[in-house]
Amino acid sequence: MNKPIRKLAVVAGAASAAFALAAAPASAVPSTVWTVNPTPAGFTAANSGNVVLSVNGIAMTCTKSTASGTMASATGNPATVASISAIAFGATGAPCTSVLGNVSTVATTPWTVVAQDYTAATGVTKGYVGNVDAKVTVGACVFRVTGKASGTYTNSTGALAVNSVAGELTVVSSTNCGSAVPVGAKPTFKGTYLVKSGTVIPTIVGSNP
Amino acid sequence: MRGPGPTPRSSRARVRGATIAAFVALAPLLPAAAVAVGTLKVDASLPYVCTLPSGQQPATVRITAAFPERAVPGEEIRPTDVTTTVELPAAAVADLTALKASTVRAETLLTVGAGQNGQRTEASWRGTAQPLGVPAEGPLTLTTSGDVPTLTTDAAGDLTLTAEGLAVDLAPSTADGAPTTPASLSVSCVPGQNAGDRTLLATVPVGSGTPSPEPSGPPSSSATPESPSPGPHVPRPPLPTGLNAPPRTGTTRGTGEVPTVPGSGARKDRGLTAADEPGAPAARPAAPPCVTEKPTPTSLSAYITGYSNVRKLNGANVIPVSCVLIEQGQPEFVVLPDGSMHLFQTSTGALSHGGRRQTPPFKATFLTFGFAPTTATLVLEQAGPMTVTSDVLLVFPDNLAETYIRVPLVLRVLDVEVNGTRLDVGPSCRTEKPLSSPEPTPAKYPGDHLVLLGKGQLLNGTDATGYLLTSGGPLTGEVTIPAFKGCGAGGENLDRLLTASISGPGNHIKQIQGQTCSVGVETPPPDQCTEDRQPLVVPKPAR
Repeated sequence: MNKPIRKLAVVAGAASAAFALAAAPASAVPSTVWTVNPTPAGFTAANSGNVVLSVNGIAMTCTKSTASGTMASATGNPATVASISAIAFGATGAPCTSVLGNVSTVATTPWTVVAQDYTAATGVTKGYVGNVDAKVTVGACVFRVTGKASGTYTNSTGALAVNSVAGELTVVSSTNCGSAVPVGAKPTFKGTYLVKSGTVIPTIVGSNP
Repeated sequence: MRGPGPTPRSSRARVRGATIAAFVALAPLLPAAAVAVGTLKVDASLPYVCTLPSGQQPATVRITAAFPERAVPGEEIRPTDVTTTVELPAAAVADLTALKASTVRAETLLTVGAGQNGQRTEASWRGTAQPLGVPAEGPLTLTTSGDVPTLTTDAAGDLTLTAEGLAVDLAPSTADGAPTTPASLSVSCVPGQNAGDRTLLATVPVGSGTPSPEPSGPPSSSATPESPSPGPHVPRPPLPTGLNAPPRTGTTRGTGEVPTVPGSGARKDRGLTAADEPGAPAARPAAPPCVTEKPTPTSLSAYITGYSNVRKLNGANVIPVSCVLIEQGQPEFVVLPDGSMHLFQTSTGALSHGGRRQTPPFKATFLTFGFAPTTATLVLEQAGPMTVTSDVLLVFPDNLAETYIRVPLVLRVLDVEVNGTRLDVGPSCRTEKPLSSPEPTPAKYPGDHLVLLGKGQLLNGTDATGYLLTSGGPLTGEVTIPAFKGCGAGGENLDRLLTASISGPGNHIKQIQGQTCSVGVETPPPDQCTEDRQPLVVPKPAR
């Protein structure tokens, strides 16, 4: 009975370890000046590939997701380089789906984009999407997820790749979801968004003057 | 009833006088102010004669209602506070106890004749009763309340309302909650000879201050029962679609033996009618009402429709868009001894049509014995609980779902026409037991019932496909139609004809369920529900 749960725990552990490894080769000197270009500016983002929220092995797939907000240069570490003022999961005629049925998600914004680490060689910023707060409805099951989701932003492509690890997001309330989605469950969120400011792909550059 | 008085009336006016349109409203939803103008309270106890399985028996029927003291042409006359109380004699109780019934659910259909100026129409007053214990002996008293039609007439003159036939449908259950066999009992009653003119419930004067036959008749008021299509051209507040339709009440007949209601549009469809009204903004397609009267946080509602083949008849019938009210179970995460991880969920459901657990009536046309063109009006009646059990296998990164819907359904024949000639099938022509399907776990789910299976899946981060309870999808099954019983009237037994024509195994069913409306959540997602929380998605049948 416990065996599969242990397996799950092992998987989660492995994921955390991978993250630790990924985070390890951070620059010796952390960036404290974050130059966003253009700045300040508005941005829009649309998913590239499906966005998937998973809870207890239940996958919720969104084929459409869009976001918008503002971005600006910032200082410090970590530093908030963008604010997501609206994010939609699913669209008319293309709802998010799961084996519990179609999924409706209402986000409480703003969410933030926080930069922590910059690799000049690749133009990749590591950080997370913070202040995540969303109410998810599947049939009569309604739950609320809060927390953050780790991700990277790649200057060359404008891809914000969100790939949270277990423990970053938490189910803080749950109604009529049974033990499928209990309070305290640790969902994961995975999806890639292509970001644009008008027709321009924005860049984020970290430095330590 | 008083005549129309000395005022001469044009033939056009007389035609208009015939436009006594009845449609169903939800009396319990009415604001109290609706009757505050001055009400006429009725409380009548009438002798009836009821036909029970054991023979004819006297019964007392008490009808209470309140009507407006008077009305003007075009105004809705809305009976309120309507109850029908039937005291069935001890013999009826004996008929129930013979079935080992310990509780009984009752539904009544009282036919009320509405007359004015020599014209006449009928309204059907339906009522449902709370489940009731069957007494060990003595009479059984059932009090029902429920949907009550409003009446509208665009002519002046006294409107009389008269109690006529009464049909009582009893759905008995045994002590363990299972339906009895047969699962229902129909009792038809007519006023006793000694009722006399006491059956006249009320006389409502219509037309104070507007004696002229043509006065208040704006051009739009010329709609007649023969021209229902232009829509609700009535000089009163906006009214639901169907107002001007003639008082067709499906296959209901004068003596009230058949508890059916029109397929759609006749009830006060809160938020439903826009799609049917010319010029109205686009809304969902036409569908019967699907209102969850007392929602809980886990209430869902959905429409379902599809085809059912009758193998013997070599044809497929469409089961019309039907409303299902669901209480969603909690999805539980379970690890089985073999290590597999599952989500199990058991929900319950009920068909809902006009306050009854049934589909709307539907017509099936076929060739009896291969040569006689036959049209039957049928209805599927739910004879016990509907369960919806889902098992989702979680195999990362895939989720595989199987959902079984189990429901005992009795096929009832309301009407049959062979070669254009109507055969009277009587008031209780049904399959002798519920339809049955091959049951994969008969030990867990005993008894005759329909089994439909829906399969859904979500593979590796792609969209979920197939059937899922809350988003709908296709459900399939195979069903055996049992023999018919109780069919025929006037000494003619039609059981064998119907059994030979319809009954048999191997009938394939494919139903399409639409997206559910999460009726009970605080904010239902906007693509699921109408404003008044009926299902927004109306599925189409698919082969």
